[in-house]
Amino acid sequence: MVKIYNDYKDRADFLTVYVREAHPTDEWQMKSNVKEDVCYAQPKTLEQRVAIANDFVQRQKYPLPFGIDDMNNAADLAYSAWPERLYVIDEHGRIAYAGGMGPFKYEPEEVRAWLAKRFGPVTQTSSTAARAK
Amino acid sequence: MSRFWKCTLGIFLGLVLIAFACLSFRAGSPKDVYGMVRYAFPHMHRGKLRAGDDAPNVRLLALDGSNHFHLRERTGSRPLVVIFGSYT
Repeated sequence: MVKIYNDYKDRADFLTVYVREAHPTDEWQMKSNVKEDVCYAQPKTLEQRVAIANDFVQRQKYPLPFGIDDMNNAADLAYSAWPERLYVIDEHGRIAYAGGMGPFKYEPEEVRAWLAKRFGPVTQTSSTAARAK
Repeated sequence: MSRFWKCTLGIFLGLVLIAFACLSFRAGSPKDVYGMVRYAFPHMHRGKLRAGDDAPNVRLLALDGSNHFHLRERTGSRPLVVIFGSYT
């Protein structure tokens, strides 16, 4: 998604919403998380969730704008977000694209296709060339 | 228990074991099957928002941990791509 963000940030807005952990150590931990040293228990307080979100942003050098779901998981419930999902909301506040439930139906390329249909295809190369003009 | 019911139970348990073995192979391990059933399956029926629906306006917290904003505050002049997820 970072590539898509870099390609289309001049044309669309982006927001990452941090929700409940998908694979915390005290629930369904994945071996890949242990290997990559991404080991966190399911936060019990908002402060813990904020701390993990900040860890993520710093360790991954994540450039996208960010928001964090409250501990009542309102955003998760409203958008069926867990464990990961993509949406595009149009200028009128309506859902323009609703992605499938991740990980198997999490398709960033569908978001790129929506943006390409709306604004034309953009790649890092073409956007760099356009800026150089 | 009659012979018929013993056979039926045996076949049923056999099918359950085969399904569990297939899921374990696909998921990675028996522990992952448990995780999938316990944590993922209850969410699989969700996802009722469709294109054309009004986007729910939910309150979010900024990374600084103190400022709040509403998701719809970020909509209006351009399309908004929303990425939901977590670090783990």
